Amino acid sequence: MVAVYRISAIAVMVEVAIQSMSVVFGIAGQGKWIQEGGVLDKAVIEAREFVFPEVIGYLIHGLNGTILIPLTALILLVSSFFTKVPGAVKWASLVLLAVAVQITLGMSASGLPVLGALHGLNALLLLGAAFYAARLVRRSRTADQGDRLASRA
Amino acid sequence: MGMGYAEHGGHGGQVAGGRSVTSLVADPRRPADVSVTLAAGKERFRLPSGRAFDGFTLNGGSPGPVIRATLGQLVEVRLVNGSVPDGITLHWHGVDVPNAADGVAGVTQDAVRIGEEHVYRFIADQAGTFWYHSHQMSHEQVRGGLLGALVVTPPEQPAETVDVVALVHLYDGVRTVNGNEGDVRVTVPPGKRARVRIVNTDNGPMSAWVGGASYRLVAVDGTDLNRPDPVRDTGVLVTAGGRADVEVTMPEDGSPVRVHLGGTTAVVLGSKSYDAPVVRPPATTLDLLSYGMRASLGFDPNRPDRRFDYDIGRRPGFLRGRPGLWWTVNGSIFPDVPMFVVNEGDVVRMRISNHSGDVHPMHLHGHHAVVLSRNGIPAAGSPWWVDSLNVADGESYEIAFVADNPGIWMDHCHNLPHAAEGLVAHLMYEGVTTPFMIGGTEGNEPE
Ligand SMILES: [Cu+2]
Repeated sequence: MVAVYRISAIAVMVEVAIQSMSVVFGIAGQGKWIQEGGVLDKAVIEAREFVFPEVIGYLIHGLNGTILIPLTALILLVSSFFTKVPGAVKWASLVLLAVAVQITLGMSASGLPVLGALHGLNALLLLGAAFYAARLVRRSRTADQGDRLASRA
Repeated sequence: MGMGYAEHGGHGGQVAGGRSVTSLVADPRRPADVSVTLAAGKERFRLPSGRAFDGFTLNGGSPGPVIRATLGQLVEVRLVNGSVPDGITLHWHGVDVPNAADGVAGVTQDAVRIGEEHVYRFIADQAGTFWYHSHQMSHEQVRGGLLGALVVTPPEQPAETVDVVALVHLYDGVRTVNGNEGDVRVTVPPGKRARVRIVNTDNGPMSAWVGGASYRLVAVDGTDLNRPDPVRDTGVLVTAGGRADVEVTMPEDGSPVRVHLGGTTAVVLGSKSYDAPVVRPPATTLDLLSYGMRASLGFDPNRPDRRFDYDIGRRPGFLRGRPGLWWTVNGSIFPDVPMFVVNEGDVVRMRISNHSGDVHPMHLHGHHAVVLSRNGIPAAGSPWWVDSLNVADGESYEIAFVADNPGIWMDHCHNLPHAAEGLVAHLMYEGVTTPFMIGGTEGNEPE
């Protein structure tokens, strides 16, 4: 279970990286399209078409953010109960909490754009929490091995 | 599949003698004044712009032909399905047709299968700009071009007004006017007037604005506004499914006028030159709550027989077994939505409020409703009659109408994917029944 815990924590970090990459990819593609004469309004957004290919970035951001990341964070929390590593449950809970906050901020940002800024900031907090969780089990595993080595000696 | 739970709006419900929607028709003995046959197909074809498109055609192209009628004429349209596997229908958006001609698969008819046909008959009893589109798998078929414009003109057309249809549609995300990209040129002599009939057939609101002259917004959703003043540097928001008729008087010096339709497309009115400069979208949008002069509504909305709430939200849950974040009507996810029950002759008041995080163009079939207030601020301008109302997130509208067209009528979001995601309710007259079924063996899927 320690391995599951560690892998899901790392997976959250990777997914957060994908999130920041995909959304900027989308924004950049949109900028290029507008430079070339494209016009974006609500009707075009609601057409749900690939008016520029980088729309895929927004799509990945949405699917990854609302399905994959919450699922990974959930796996992290479930596995944390079986690791028997002090602090594992706490850090997994913090990761899940940050994910919930992140989704809420993202969904509300179009009504109150300043929440979008907090969405960007909270991404770093989420990354930090996932990083700490991953390190936590590595540290305790090294400690485990150290103990075993010590007892063998 | 059911159509929701009955909501009586402050009246007891009693079932009067049953009437089938199929009996609610225009006078069958009256001969047609306007006869049109529309043959539908599913194919790859060329738009008027020259671009190839995979979608739906009517009489070989898209958009379908403009159907024109004079006020009071009986319009008869024969719809033939040549090759659309899912079946088709035609809904007459904004026309208060008899219920049997409303064209909603599973409610007023069965979808028309390949090789079959269906005849629609209605009297064009209101002069204005309308459109027609399929109401079978509408989120796919409307997007794919199974649509066209319908224009009803008064018998005495104002002389020397050039009538321009500007049906706006996104094909594969590319905006077109009557199927053309870029500028559509129309000849209007100096000093003469043009009426540009803007139809938004897409799923989100679009803006229109005018450069080179002032304009008047003379009609909304097929209903003339009362004494609209000329405006300048002001945009018009046309909601999804909505129409806006813009009237421009051409400058005497012959300079052209550009009617922008959402940025990339425009109708350019001119004579000697069509070199109208591009102008930026104006910062202000015309507010119809206070545009034009007040006039009688023809009924008293302050003593309603029924009061309904149409409250739009969004929450996590299950829609047809699928988990997700779904639209809610009065707190519940489809099919647990209200069916608003009325009697013929009732004055109905409805409060539409939206806190779902997104805009919804709300479309009531078979009726025009008048806007009484927005966010508690009473309407102070011309009577503002709508069939498609832009309800933005955080907004709340009070509307009223007279239940004068018996039947079973959809009352849904005209962002058609939203309707497919369950943002649908019905207005139901006591005692009216339908022999048709959503789903079932006929495969009726109105959304
Ligand atoms: Cu909607």
